[in-house]
Amino acid sequence: MRKLEFILRRLVSSIFVLIGVSIITFALSRVVPNNPAVLYIGPRARPEDIARVTKLLGLDQPLPVQYFIYMRDLLHGDLGTSIATKRPVLQEILDRAPASLELLFTGMFLVVVIGIPLGVLSARWQGKPVDLVTRTISIVGVSIPAFFLGLVLQIIFFRNLHWLPLAGQLNTDLRFTNPILPVTNFQILDALLTRNWVALKDTAVHIILPAITLAAYPIGLVARMTRASMLEVLEQDYIRTARAYGTKEFIVTYFYALKNAISPTLTVIGLTFAYALTGTFFVEIIFIWPGLGMFTVSSLLNIDYPAIMGMTLFGATAYVLINSIVDLLQAWVDPRINLV
Amino acid sequence: MNKRFYLFTLLMVAVLLMSACSPAGTATSVPTKPAATDAPVVTEAPTEAAPLVLKIASAAAITTWDPVKSFSTEVAYLDNMYETLLLTNPPGSAEKFTPVLATSWESNADGTEWTFHLRPNVVFHDGEAFTAAAVKMSIEAIADHGGAAFIWWMLDHVEVVDDLTAKFVLTSSAPIDWIASSADGSRIISTKALTAAAADPNYFEAPVDAGTGAYVLESYKADQEIVFDRFDDYWGGWKPGQFDKVFVQLVTEGITQQQLFDSGQVDLVTSIPKENVATYKDNPNVTYDVEPSFFNYLVFFNTLRPPLDNVLVRQALSYAIPYQDIIDIAANGLGTQSRGPVPQGVWPSSPKVKQYTYDIAKAKELLTQAGHPGGGFTLNMWYVSNNDTIVALVPLLKDSFAQIGVEVNLVPMLWGPLWEQAKADPANAYDINPNMYWPTYSDAGSDNLWSLFYWTKSPFFNLSFWKNDAYNALIDEAIAKTVTDPVTAQAKYVEAMNMLVDEAPGAFLFDTKAVFIIPKYIEGFKYNLNYPFVPYFYYQLTSTK
Repeated sequence: MRKLEFILRRLVSSIFVLIGVSIITFALSRVVPNNPAVLYIGPRARPEDIARVTKLLGLDQPLPVQYFIYMRDLLHGDLGTSIATKRPVLQEILDRAPASLELLFTGMFLVVVIGIPLGVLSARWQGKPVDLVTRTISIVGVSIPAFFLGLVLQIIFFRNLHWLPLAGQLNTDLRFTNPILPVTNFQILDALLTRNWVALKDTAVHIILPAITLAAYPIGLVARMTRASMLEVLEQDYIRTARAYGTKEFIVTYFYALKNAISPTLTVIGLTFAYALTGTFFVEIIFIWPGLGMFTVSSLLNIDYPAIMGMTLFGATAYVLINSIVDLLQAWVDPRINLV
Repeated sequence: MNKRFYLFTLLMVAVLLMSACSPAGTATSVPTKPAATDAPVVTEAPTEAAPLVLKIASAAAITTWDPVKSFSTEVAYLDNMYETLLLTNPPGSAEKFTPVLATSWESNADGTEWTFHLRPNVVFHDGEAFTAAAVKMSIEAIADHGGAAFIWWMLDHVEVVDDLTAKFVLTSSAPIDWIASSADGSRIISTKALTAAAADPNYFEAPVDAGTGAYVLESYKADQEIVFDRFDDYWGGWKPGQFDKVFVQLVTEGITQQQLFDSGQVDLVTSIPKENVATYKDNPNVTYDVEPSFFNYLVFFNTLRPPLDNVLVRQALSYAIPYQDIIDIAANGLGTQSRGPVPQGVWPSSPKVKQYTYDIAKAKELLTQAGHPGGGFTLNMWYVSNNDTIVALVPLLKDSFAQIGVEVNLVPMLWGPLWEQAKADPANAYDINPNMYWPTYSDAGSDNLWSLFYWTKSPFFNLSFWKNDAYNALIDEAIAKTVTDPVTAQAKYVEAMNMLVDEAPGAFLFDTKAVFIIPKYIEGFKYNLNYPFVPYFYYQLTSTK
C-alpha cells in the first residue's frame, strides 16, 4: 500500500516536473534569434518561400499558442516533426534509442562489476597498496573529461596498438557479408539471437572503447561511494561480532557489510545512469555511435525546435523514472527506509 | 488530506489523458517505414557473396530526400540518384556540356525558346519510362516550389512537343543549357513520384528514390549511413570494376574521417582537416589532386552603418586586408586572391577585374581623407562560428585593422541566427561579415553578382545592403545579353565587377582550391568544379583492387 501511494505521488509530481521542463525548454529554445524555416528549406531560400514555410510550421503563431499546440499534440503521442530530418521526432528517438541504450547498459554493467568491487576491495584493504591503486583509478575516472578520454583511448588502442576499432557499431564489410537481422534492434542481442557469431564478436569488440569511456566517471564515483559506505559499515558492532564468531571474511564483507553499505551506492548508480544518458552525447560523437547523442547534438546546432523539445522531455522522463526506480530499489534493499 | 489532493490531481490528469484520445487537431501524414521486426528470425548466420563496395566517409548531411525541394548538402547523394538534361564540363574542356538525359538541343535566335531532344530507352528507378512529360512536370514543379526555384525565374512553361522532345518557353532570354545542368534545381523525376508528392508533401522522406541515375538508394539511417545499389537497367550500361554498392558513412569530424581513411576502413573521404592534407603529398599510395573550386570567401561591409557608409573607409579597409596571409594561414595555402566575387574559371570571371593589394600606408592615407586620421573607431564583426576557414581568418583581419587604428569586436554566431538578425534589422546588424559563397550553377553573373550585390527591397544575400542603380542596370543588361551577345554581356559584367572593387561594398578575399586524396586503386576520378558539392560521381569510379 505504501509503495502504491509512493508511486502515485511520484507520478503526479513527475507530471508537474515535466510540464515545468517543457515550458523552460520551449522558452529557452526560442530565445535564440533564428528562423527554423531556413533550416527546413535550405540556406538560400527566397524570402517568399521562407514566409510560406514559416506559416506551414506554425511559427507565425504567438508563442503561447505554439506551446499549447505542442502540448496538445504531445498528449496524442506526437512529439512533432523534426525540421532538419522531416521525420517524426518520436520515430527518430525510437530508431536511435536502441543504440544508445545498448551503450548505456554496457557502460552501467561495467560500472557495477568494476566500480562496486573496487570500492569493496579499497575498503577491505584500507591503507594498503590495493587501496592506493583503487583510489587513484577512482580519481582519474572522475577527473578526465569523457571526450578527452575517448580520444586518448582511440589513439592508444586503435592508432598505436591496432587492437580495437576506431568507431562505429559494426565493420562495414560485415554489413554485406554477415548482416545482422533485426529482432530487437539491439545489435549485440540480435547477433546473439540469430547466432551470427561473426557479427557478435565484431559488435562486442566495437562497443568496448565507447563503453569504457562512458563508464569511467561513474566507475570512479561508485568506487569512492562504495568505499566510504563500506568503511562506515565495517566499523559496526555486528561486523565485529560476526568476525568474532569466525565467519569467513568473504561472507562478512560481501553478504553482511555490502548489503548494508549498498544503499547510498544504489542512489549514486541511479544518478550516474541518468548522467550517462546525457554523457553518451560526447561518446557517440567521438565514436560515431548511431544513438540519441548524435541526433541531439545536431538538433541543438540546427536549433531544431521539435527535436530539442522531444529529446529534453525524453531525458527528463528518463531522469524521473530512474530516480523513482532507485527509490523503490532502496526500499526493497533496506526495509527501514520509509518511502512516504 | 494529502492523499485526497494527490488522488484528485490524478483524476484530473486521467480526464486530460482521456481527452487526448480524441483525434489530434492537425495530423501530419508521414509515410511509415516498414517495422524492423517484420524480418524473419533465422537460426543460421547468413553469409552472402561479397559485392564490390565503395566506402566513403562523408560529412554531407541530408536535409531532405525531396529532389524538388532539395537545396543543400544532400546534393552529394541526390546527384548520383537523379540526372539532369546536361552536365556542364570543367573549364578548358573540348565541349562545354556533356549530354545526359538530352542528346542534343538548340535555341531560337533570341534565346527565349530552347528545344531539348531526349535520350530514348531510359527508365526511372520506379520502372516508369523517361519522356518529355517527366521533364515538363519536374521543371515546372521546381520552378513552382523548388529549393532552387529562383534559377527558373524566366520560365513561362515547358511544352511537350512529343515523347522525346521538350521545349522550354521563357519570358526573357536565358542560358537554359547552363540552368538545365545545375546541380540543384534541374533534376528529372518520375511523374509517378511527382504526382504522389503533390498529394503528400513528405512523400520523398520515406525515403523514396525516383531518379534515372546509375545508383539507387537502398537504405538510409539518419546521421549514420546511406547505402546505394547499382541500377542494373541504367542507360549507360556497366563495365567490370564499377562498384556494385556504395556505402556512405556519415562522419562530421574531419579527423575521424582521416583515421578511417588511413586505416583502410573507407576508400574515400570528403573532409580531411586542412592542416593535415599536405601530409599526403608524398604518399605513394594516393593521388594528391588539387583543383580550383566554386567557393570563394569575401567580406561584406554594412554600407548602412557609419563610417562604412563612406566609400573611402571601405577602400581603406580593403587595403588593410592581408590577402596572402589569409590564404596561407586560413586556407593552408589552398587558394588564390579573388578578382571580384566571381570565382576564377567560372563565367563571367575575367583577369581584367581589379584587385586590392595589402598596403597599410595607403589604407591610413584613405582613412585620413575620409576624416578618420589614425582610425579611432570600433567595428563589430559577426562571423559564422562553424566554418573553420572563417574562424581562422577573423583574427587576421582584426589584427591587421588594428594597425590602422580600427578596433574590431568579434562576435561568433551560427549562420541561421546571423542571417536572420541581419535581414531583420540591417541598420543595427554587424559592421563587417566575412562569408563564403558559391553559385548555384555555372553562371556566376546571374547568381553571385545578382545575389550578393544587386539591390532588392528584401535583401537576399546582399549582406552589405548596398544600393547602386548603375550597378543594378549593368547586371540587368548583362543578364539579358548572356545568350544573344555573350561578348557584350561579359563586358558589362566586368564593368560591374570593377565598380564593386571601386565602391568596395565588400572585400574579395580568395577563391578556394579543393584537395582530393584518392587511393591509387580507385580510377576514373575527375573533379568538376561546376558541381562543388558532389565530390564523387560514383558511376565514374572503378576499382583495380
